[in-house]
Amino acid sequence: MAAALASRFSRGRSLIGSLSNAFSGLMNSSNGIMNGNILSQQQQRTFIQMGTTLKVVDNSGAKEVKCIQSLKANKKGARLGDIIVGSVKEAIPKGKVKKGKVVYGVVVRAAMQKGRVDGSQVKFDDNAIVVVGIKEKKKKKPEENKKNKVEFNQPTGTRVFGPVPHEMRNKKQLKILALAQHMV
Amino acid sequence: MRLVKCWFCSSTIYPGHGIQFVRNDAKIFRFCRSKCHKNFKMKRNPRKVKWTKAFRAAHGKDMTKDKTFEFEKKRNRPERYDRNVTENTLKAIKKIDKIRSAREAKHIENRLKPNKQKKFNEDTKELNNQISLVRAPGVSEKVKVVVPKEKSIQNEAMEE
Repeated sequence: MAAALASRFSRGRSLIGSLSNAFSGLMNSSNGIMNGNILSQQQQRTFIQMGTTLKVVDNSGAKEVKCIQSLKANKKGARLGDIIVGSVKEAIPKGKVKKGKVVYGVVVRAAMQKGRVDGSQVKFDDNAIVVVGIKEKKKKKPEENKKNKVEFNQPTGTRVFGPVPHEMRNKKQLKILALAQHMV
Repeated sequence: MRLVKCWFCSSTIYPGHGIQFVRNDAKIFRFCRSKCHKNFKMKRNPRKVKWTKAFRAAHGKDMTKDKTFEFEKKRNRPERYDRNVTENTLKAIKKIDKIRSAREAKHIENRLKPNKQKKFNEDTKELNNQISLVRAPGVSEKVKVVVPKEKSIQNEAMEE
């Protein structure tokens, strides 16, 4: 049954949904170990989707965020430069953002490779976000809801750690670029 | 557009090829193809992997010190476009390439040639150490052996 399931799902990419994707990933890895040839099983990196834990690389207070939703229309998930909604799983004791809050974040580093205009591909070591907004639980008045596009431009923190890709410029995240230590 | 070198095998990476991996310390690793990328992921040291340029340079197999390499240095200042400069540069590239490959071939040829001085030294050493296989030690060339002929005849006569 495991073999049948594994053969049905293509490696790393799921046809059905987020949960089944994780399941098939598990199946593949366990199959690999069973075959005894771990080296041939190259890790296939995919989109950032519901359940993905991401590192927070600014000083907003959060340390780790679990993705709830990717705001991109793409049903497969978020990539480098996209905005996600996440739940704060780990935070520093006295920070702007507390544990359990729902935040918006921009993906600044993704393990999945992203194609650039010159034809090359870039990939990073981990999945990381910068917090750009906190979701409020209060119900907004109908007038305010008329604003269609909410721009998530302003990061909540004041510092950004680690390398930041040029893709931020296309996504209009200029503040993040300004705060960045290294630009790739 | 810039031509870069593969981190693993040191071959040139042309636009549209390869993958760039950015580590969290902001160090960028560029790979020309998945072969190099996979070797990197296996944590192999390019200086120990025989087919890479790093190995060949480290083990003296290929030429490393030459003035022709100076022309290929990375320059961060953009040049103002001048048609003549561009034309001359293109001609120069071809010429330098020819000279460099000729020198590299010569280097390899010299390396493969049998080293005469070394061979002579080894041979003399061997001869001096193991001359005993050819001659007995401490013996001069001509040896005198005295054979008493007359005495033997006399003995025979006496015995009778």
